[in-house]
Amino acid sequence: MGSKPEVQQGTLALMVLKTLEALGPLHGYGIARRIEQTSGDRLVLNYGTLYPALLKLEQEGDIASEWGVSENNRRAKYYRLTRSGHQRVKREAREWEETTAILARFLGEKA
Amino acid sequence: MRRWRAWFARVLGLAGGPRRDRDLQSEVESHLQLHIDELVRTGTPLGEARRIAHLKFGALEAAKEEYRDRRGVPGIETTIRDLRHGLRVWARSPGFTAVALASLALGIGANTAIFSIVNSLVLRPLPVRDPGQLVQVQRTAATRSLSNPIWEALRARPDLFARAAAWGTTTFNMADGGEARPVSGLWVSGSFFETFGVRPRLGRLLTETDDRRGGGADGPVAVLSYGFWQRQFGGAQDVVGRPLRLSGVPFTVVGVAPPEFFGGEVGRSFDVAVPLGAEPLTRPRSMLDMRSGWWLTVFARLEPDQTIDRASQALREIQPSLRAATMPPDYRPSDQAKYLTAPMVVRAASTGVSGLRSAYQEPLAIVMVVVGVVLLIACVNLANLLLARADGRRHEMSVRLALGASRARLIRQMCLESLLLSTAGAALGLIFAAWSSGLVVGQLSTATTVVQLPLTLDWRVLAFTSVVSMLSGLVFGLAPAWRATRAEANDALKAQGRSVAGGRGTLGGLLVVAQVSLSLVLVIGAGLFVRTFTSLADLSLGFNPRPLLIVDLNAAKSPTPAEARLALFERVRDRVRSLPGVAGAELSAVTPLAGQWDQIIQNPEGLSLPEDDRDVYLNAVGPDWFRTYGTALIAGRMLTAQDSGQTANLPIVVNETFARKYYRDRQPLGAIVRLVGNAKAAPMSIVGIVEDAIYDSMRDGVPPTIYQPLVAGPLASLSLTVRSSTDGPSALAPAIAAAAVSVDPTLSVTSQPLSDRVSAATIRERLLAILSAFFGGLALLLAGLGLYGVVAYAVSRRRTEIGIRMALGASGAGVIQLVVRRVAVVVLMGVVAGGALGFWASRLVQAQLFGLAPDDAATFAGATVVLVLVAAIASWWPAYRASHVDPAKVLRES
Repeated sequence: MGSKPEVQQGTLALMVLKTLEALGPLHGYGIARRIEQTSGDRLVLNYGTLYPALLKLEQEGDIASEWGVSENNRRAKYYRLTRSGHQRVKREAREWEETTAILARFLGEKA
Repeated sequence: MRRWRAWFARVLGLAGGPRRDRDLQSEVESHLQLHIDELVRTGTPLGEARRIAHLKFGALEAAKEEYRDRRGVPGIETTIRDLRHGLRVWARSPGFTAVALASLALGIGANTAIFSIVNSLVLRPLPVRDPGQLVQVQRTAATRSLSNPIWEALRARPDLFARAAAWGTTTFNMADGGEARPVSGLWVSGSFFETFGVRPRLGRLLTETDDRRGGGADGPVAVLSYGFWQRQFGGAQDVVGRPLRLSGVPFTVVGVAPPEFFGGEVGRSFDVAVPLGAEPLTRPRSMLDMRSGWWLTVFARLEPDQTIDRASQALREIQPSLRAATMPPDYRPSDQAKYLTAPMVVRAASTGVSGLRSAYQEPLAIVMVVVGVVLLIACVNLANLLLARADGRRHEMSVRLALGASRARLIRQMCLESLLLSTAGAALGLIFAAWSSGLVVGQLSTATTVVQLPLTLDWRVLAFTSVVSMLSGLVFGLAPAWRATRAEANDALKAQGRSVAGGRGTLGGLLVVAQVSLSLVLVIGAGLFVRTFTSLADLSLGFNPRPLLIVDLNAAKSPTPAEARLALFERVRDRVRSLPGVAGAELSAVTPLAGQWDQIIQNPEGLSLPEDDRDVYLNAVGPDWFRTYGTALIAGRMLTAQDSGQTANLPIVVNETFARKYYRDRQPLGAIVRLVGNAKAAPMSIVGIVEDAIYDSMRDGVPPTIYQPLVAGPLASLSLTVRSSTDGPSALAPAIAAAAVSVDPTLSVTSQPLSDRVSAATIRERLLAILSAFFGGLALLLAGLGLYGVVAYAVSRRRTEIGIRMALGASGAGVIQLVVRRVAVVVLMGVVAGGALGFWASRLVQAQLFGLAPDDAATFAGATVVLVLVAAIASWWPAYRASHVDPAKVLRES
């Protein structure tokens, strides 16, 4: 779509979980903004694609949601990590680190 | 675990759609609002902020759609929606739906019906314990039956198998004299029920101690089948211990077999089973010690770890001693050598044995292919009609594509519509099958042999039907679906243009070609089978069976000494001759189409034919036999009452075939005929030649036949052929039985019109003729319907063009020609393809044909004419209507 990289399949979930771990309960818009900011605006995120991902995480039991009120008094649905979500962040973060480390070695290797 | 949880949530998500939709709506709105708030806070004007927020969110509806898919189970949800839509689609055109359903129900139903017969006859294991462990022990690879001496030798080796059992079939007579009351019986070894692993319904089953020659500890005992117990004893609970007279011998009922158990032979059920040891009591000449009496079927149950190969191995090891000990003494040396070396065979027998199966396997396979082709034609038909509809639905499809539906989704939906149709057709077809398969099996029974084939809709049949209906749905649904969705999204935006020529020509045309050619093949097949049946039915038998009644007389229980029995039978014959309505009666040893008596003759003078060419058929007949049958004398004289007294050079009469085969250019009269291997038999002298008449088979033609006089000897039974003065000889039966009983009250009498035997002998051909004619007709009807539909559709699409042509001066005949010419090309192609296919296919069914070659020109020509006629009618009607188009009206419309 654009020249900026899109969010890779499967990584969005981890980004969401990590965001919630770092910031605590947050609404969808907040999560989206935070992901973009953290990436240094290097990622393009179609905000619309976030919601199916959130639903999936909720169905898998890693996050839970409830309606609340935002700081500027807007009704919003807030998402928070569940216990299994906390475990998942740790596990997946570790796995990603390993994967990227391995890949980095490959990519860094001069033929 | 996590995945299961997610699925659980999604299945729950199927419910409460609207509420959840609102929830999503609010969430999206709140998202946009938050975004706008932030943008406005940082100084963006409200309108611009709104635009950016929406832009950044992306395709709103697509996101919602994805969200919904993710929320529920998309397959199920959309499937339910598509099903509802499909029902609406079909309900909108009830006429089309009815025709489609009817042709599918007939097609799928016919396939299910035939398959359920194949299933019962060929596929289904016996309803006994662990049928997979059952094997049959065969004399050789080709011959299955064993003699009792072999069975006893096998029984003496319990180490060969886990268990083994033998049985022979017979018909017992429950009446002590007069008209026989036949009961289908089994002689079984004591191990029979145990080998099959059957438990009694009532009382007990037979054991080894019952199976002693002359009767076991409890005397002669009998086990009833469940059906016989119900029929004969009304299911009485106190049947155990009751007496039952079988062929004049008192048996005691000891138990009842379970309802599903019919023995080891599929298609034939028994009424009573008695121990093999009781056989000498019921039969005047026991076969227990006959080394060349092949009347037993032997089954065995393998040990759990025993393979068929290992069982064969063990059997082959004992075979030399077994064969040497059971050698039939009357075998010729060449046959004895064969007997010693031909290896016995152990064969898997989980599905039992079945004479019915071997007789009908090939006809059933043919009919299975035929009904398969009928279904294929029905599917092609539907495909073609749906193709026409698909063109009509292009607008709908392009609208849906424009609204964002994917092509795969549309194809899926249209296939689902087809599957809906085929499933409904299959459901109706099951009803049709349940009714018609019983009808077909009913056709197999004759007056004397009742075929009992339990037809149940078991999992095999249901699986078959589901697969067939699914395949048909795909076959007729896929092409139209593909076609319809080839619409472009922007087609919908264009005006509904009126095109002059459709682009549908090739595929539709090909389908019609396929349909025409397949129908032609079926019509050719129907023609071949019908003509086979009629040529058998019209076959010159050498006699007219209609006024003839065959009366089998059995004197086994008569006190008359064996030597005086011929005189006894002759007294019955004379008594019967004096009955009113009897035009003639004569005794014989053999009657047409029932059993054979053949022997090898020595080479006639001057010939050196191999043994196989010297096999002749014999009959012993009274002097009036030829007059009774209406067989004409060609040369010499008939037999006389004095001939039977002759000891040297017994006078015989031979048939034309005999004379032609062995005395081509010499005088047969006076020639001496000697039988091989029977030193006692006196030489015979030919005194007359009679017309040919069939012997035991209608298909095999007339064998060389010798008619010799009846000679007094140890006789138990003879047949009396009675010629009625009318064509309904059955009416004479009671009077004949009474006449026989008045001569000797112990005589047992069974009568059957000879015409029943003749029709029983052609039952297979008749069934094939009926079924192939029915399905051939159905195929024609479907092809006609299909062709009509296609032509009518093509004409409706070309209405404008035709109108213009007519406005420019084309005549009605010209228009008809225009339409018919295109059809003619397609039909011609179909006829050529079908003819070639028929030429190839008819060769495969050659074995089932009689009296005509598989490429019989008349049949092929006739079938082609019929098909072309149907095609002409089917295409002429729409063409005729086209020629009456009012050009002015058409032009106004455009």
